[in-house]
Amino acid sequence: MFEQQLFNGLTLGLIYALIAVGYTMVYGVIELINFAHGEVYMFGAFLCVTIINSLGVPLFPAMVLAMGLCALMGVSIDHIAYKPLRKAPRLAALITAIGVSIFLQNIAMIIWGSRPVPFTRSAVPAAFSEQAFALGSVSVSGLQLFIYLFTTAMMIGLTLIINKTKVGTAMRALAQNATAAALMGINVNRVIAFTFALGSSLGAAAGILVAMYYNTMSATMGYNAGVKAFAAAVLGGIGSVPGAMLGGVVLGVAETLGAGYVSSQYRDGLGYAVMIAVILLRPSGLLGKSVGQKA
Amino acid sequence: MDTILNIDGVSKRFGGLLALADVSFEVKKGHILGLIGPNGAGKTTMFNCIAGIYTPTEGTITFDKGGAPVSVGGSRPEQMTQMGVARTFQNIRLFGSLPVLDNVRIGRHCRAAQGFWGAVLRTKAQKAEEKLLVEQSLEYLDFVGLKHKALDLSSSLSYGDQRRLEIARALASQPKLLLLDEPAAGMNPQETGSLVDLIHAILEKDVTVVLIEHDMKLVMSICEHLVVLDHGVKIAEGGPREIRENPEVIEAYLGRGAAHA
Amino acid sequence: MTGQSTALKLLGLCALLAFPLMPFSSEYVLHVAVLIMVYAVLAMGLNVLPGFCDLLDLGYVGFYGIGAYTAGILSLNYDMSFWVVVPLAAALGALCGVLRGAPTLRLSGDYFAIVTFGFTELVVLFLTNEIWLTRGPLGMPGIPPIDINLSWLGIDWRYDFMSETPYYYLGLLMVAFVYVVMCRIEDSRLGRAWLSIKEDPLAAASCGINLMAYKSVAFAFSAAVGALAGCFMARWSMFLAPDVFKFWESFLVLCMIVLGGLGNINGAIVGSVVLIALGEVLRVVLPHFGLPTETRFLAYGLLMILIMRFKPGGIFPAIAATSKKSRLIMDLKARLQAERAG
Repeated sequence: MFEQQLFNGLTLGLIYALIAVGYTMVYGVIELINFAHGEVYMFGAFLCVTIINSLGVPLFPAMVLAMGLCALMGVSIDHIAYKPLRKAPRLAALITAIGVSIFLQNIAMIIWGSRPVPFTRSAVPAAFSEQAFALGSVSVSGLQLFIYLFTTAMMIGLTLIINKTKVGTAMRALAQNATAAALMGINVNRVIAFTFALGSSLGAAAGILVAMYYNTMSATMGYNAGVKAFAAAVLGGIGSVPGAMLGGVVLGVAETLGAGYVSSQYRDGLGYAVMIAVILLRPSGLLGKSVGQKA
Repeated sequence: MDTILNIDGVSKRFGGLLALADVSFEVKKGHILGLIGPNGAGKTTMFNCIAGIYTPTEGTITFDKGGAPVSVGGSRPEQMTQMGVARTFQNIRLFGSLPVLDNVRIGRHCRAAQGFWGAVLRTKAQKAEEKLLVEQSLEYLDFVGLKHKALDLSSSLSYGDQRRLEIARALASQPKLLLLDEPAAGMNPQETGSLVDLIHAILEKDVTVVLIEHDMKLVMSICEHLVVLDHGVKIAEGGPREIRENPEVIEAYLGRGAAHA
Repeated sequence: MTGQSTALKLLGLCALLAFPLMPFSSEYVLHVAVLIMVYAVLAMGLNVLPGFCDLLDLGYVGFYGIGAYTAGILSLNYDMSFWVVVPLAAALGALCGVLRGAPTLRLSGDYFAIVTFGFTELVVLFLTNEIWLTRGPLGMPGIPPIDINLSWLGIDWRYDFMSETPYYYLGLLMVAFVYVVMCRIEDSRLGRAWLSIKEDPLAAASCGINLMAYKSVAFAFSAAVGALAGCFMARWSMFLAPDVFKFWESFLVLCMIVLGGLGNINGAIVGSVVLIALGEVLRVVLPHFGLPTETRFLAYGLLMILIMRFKPGGIFPAIAATSKKSRLIMDLKARLQAERAG
């Protein structure tokens, strides 16, 4: 039982991690909590299903297409809503982010309705719902296996992009010191756009995985996932990409175990409690640099 | 002569960067001390340590708030202000969207007492204090020559006036020690001239002044004693003449070999 | 102050007092008016944090819920009078406000925003799951209306608030009370300390302001006002359910103060009038287009983005500046003018 919970938690945690890196990367480059990220995640799921249903595209191409569309969406959000406020007070950008989040959520409600929608069953490979392998008492489904492999591949890819490519170096430079980065000839806006694209496509992928895993999606699914993924990002150390990955996994496992052994009603509150504890005890997170008020 | 501030072996480390390395000096009561050095020498870091914004990594700072000197390293900024250390900032930090008067009234915060209930109930004591605050603030504004602009928005003031307002705000807390961080930066010669008069007037009010300044003419003309920092290390200390002729100081400012040129 | 503006104010006051007596004021119209008052109090209370201290509160309605459920539970289970419940609920709200803000006191405002974002969630979870106390998702019906009972004075007189009209007047009183308190605080040592924290925390600390203490006072005060609104609402609507206190409501209140201009007390009231009225209109209009009524938040979200981009001071910046008219400042202005002339 415990082992099974652990594996289920890991599945959830990897998905949280995928969303959390989007928060943390954007925070790294423009120091903004992008509240709209949860909505991009939700759009990912809905766009994927819409593409499958209306164009008859198979699951995997539809997934790639939805991720691409969400990348575009992320870049547009930044360009239209956040970019004009780069020099404005921080509160203005933060409030705008909340506004964008609510706006997108309601757009989704108008397009797809306010009731939960199931994931298109026929598009999901049969192997996903079967047991892929069993380890003692633990049973891992094909979909879970796919989630492990897919998220791990994404994380490795992301780490490579950040550490080995030119644009990744620019992202890290920007996170260190935006002014200096601009002086060094880095095209700041392009790097920010790239960050949004990258984070948004990963968020979209997470949305699709969650929708498949629970076989349901709704216009409001971004809210809870958003809070939790942000909690994961804080847990790992906001601004730190490996931290967000670790934070997501820790939070997913903690939540699943907590729901199993402590209180299932407060399942959603657990992530929040973990976050408060982290902020109280170690605000820089598990892997982050020290924060505190800037002097 | 009494010592008002004693810096003893103060070091400040930021990660791998040693911003201040074992710096010691004394500030004499009622006098003006100049803290000079090239950019990045650690002057503002020293101010931030004294004013309670940074906690020194090592060393002690003792301040004589009247009576026995107390060790103040690691106190919070508001505690330092309460004890009698006020400061201005290198890059002016006024409350820009508030009127000039309010900037000074806020500067006087720690010498007033009314809180939540006074404000809500508008007690007699509260009303009297508010009235007094306005009068006192006007005096400080008058002192720096800004009384007639008391109700203007502080961000609408000229650069020189903003610097003067910052000084008025700092003085409003009735400091014993005033830290001025580059008060003449960006001023034209006339404004600098009247700043010198202002600093002399401050000294006459029995306030001790520590001054960071790049304008050497200004520093040499008003400071009796100078401390020179370079790369976080104190390289010289003494009167203006001594400092002007010190080869190490010349080298720090003009580069190697300049002393012999 | 000119005689003209005083006359206008008097006229406005008369209009507000006479409103329930007008032929057009049905129970529905009065109901909406009372709703506006509840939100006006919420908006003024929320305004303390983003408007005065530059801290974004995304879970303000949590205190509304705490106040409402405190009133509901104490009234139903212990038969307590409204007038006893109010201070208790406000005190509990203040305590919760300080506890919520405390973990973030040493950190930047972003941490506060995210903690408050989760706070609403936790309050709703609590209200939903602690069925022994709150009756859970079924809600809490049968809360008694407000009454004025003078038996404790030995006078046998009792008045029950049975229609919207007494709530209207009590609501008006509540709005006036909170408004006066807010204006007085804004123009005081405390208010100036908050504004200095909003402008520049480091400079504020260097002026001798204890940031943690003053932020804590703001947390407590803002939350107490929210709880007050909740108390009133519980005894007015006589029914409570956890769903009323979800994030949406916090967003709506935030939208009101953004509309009126952050930090603008008059603006908070104007914002609540505009958005509640707009909400009522949209509630009727939206179904005609086959849209769920929740989609009115689409308009609110868009409004918020546009205001931040184009009119960050709110849509009526001219109605700001309450404190600038205080007696002391008016006197000073006259004095300075005289000195300049003389």
